[in-house]
Amino acid sequence: MYDQTITTRKRITSAVWAFVVNAIFWIVIPYYVGVFLTGKVPESALTVPTFVYEFGILFIVLEVGAAFFRGKAVAVPLISAVALLTVVYIWYATNGGILGVETSGITLALSFRLMLYVLVLPSIWAAIRAPLSYAIWRRAAKAEVSSALPVSPVSQSGNSPLPQK
Amino acid sequence: MQVKRKTPMGIWALRGVTVAVALIVLLVVGTVVYSAYEDFSAVKAELAGGSQQAVGAAVLRGTTETVSINITVPNKGLYPLNVTLTCDYPTTNVVCQRTSVDVSPGGQGVLRFRMTVLDVPQFESSDNQVINGTVAISMEPFVGLVVGTNFGGFVKTGGA
Repeated sequence: MYDQTITTRKRITSAVWAFVVNAIFWIVIPYYVGVFLTGKVPESALTVPTFVYEFGILFIVLEVGAAFFRGKAVAVPLISAVALLTVVYIWYATNGGILGVETSGITLALSFRLMLYVLVLPSIWAAIRAPLSYAIWRRAAKAEVSSALPVSPVSQSGNSPLPQK
Repeated sequence: MQVKRKTPMGIWALRGVTVAVALIVLLVVGTVVYSAYEDFSAVKAELAGGSQQAVGAAVLRGTTETVSINITVPNKGLYPLNVTLTCDYPTTNVVCQRTSVDVSPGGQGVLRFRMTVLDVPQFESSDNQVINGTVAISMEPFVGLVVGTNFGGFVKTGGA
């Protein structure tokens, strides 16, 4: 819900939480997975690719921004950007749904393009839903104000339920 | 005092779509994973000789060797299964018959693959004894697995 009554203190707390959670998910866990893989199979090429960290930094920035500006219009493009970045990340990580490996003269190629479309569907929907949701809440708030105006002069005293731009 | 707003109908509609999308994803992923597991287990059991249907034989007649592979492909999953075997060799000394079988859910099909080496001594003396074989398994329409390996190992002088 888009709500302009969230205090700055709450915003900072949300942003800090978003930072901590995303840093653990995108930086700490991949780092220790990399350490684990390198320790278990030292001669193998099993490492965490750097793009995980690069995407991780982008995710952290966008998630922290979205958490800080929660309830404001500026949060909408940030939420959509996170969702679209998730789509790009999944696509990039799975090489567009075509994965291949070659070992001991045997080549294995796994193709799951259609499955990938299904997997990115929730993220695409999340990117679309954010602006739609904002528009609907804003419209509802406007309607609330206009219906309240003739009978409730209190609503004109500055406590407008309209979300701030 | 903060006024509790009534949730607009549009928001309920968006929530409904979100739930529908989540259900679709869960349904597709769940059924695909389940089918892949069931199909893999069934094919593995078949190749291990559970019903003695998976048979491979190499028969040498003169200098010509025919490698035959008959595999029963069961489909215990929820999606149609297609298995295709092909091979490729740069000269005409090796002839492969591309073979494919479609198996509907709950059914089973037999894949009969033939590969003929027309001149075994020539094949054995050649520099290239690698016959590029491909096994393509696809769980229509979502997942496909292509395994490329050397079918040259099936060729044995004197037959199996």
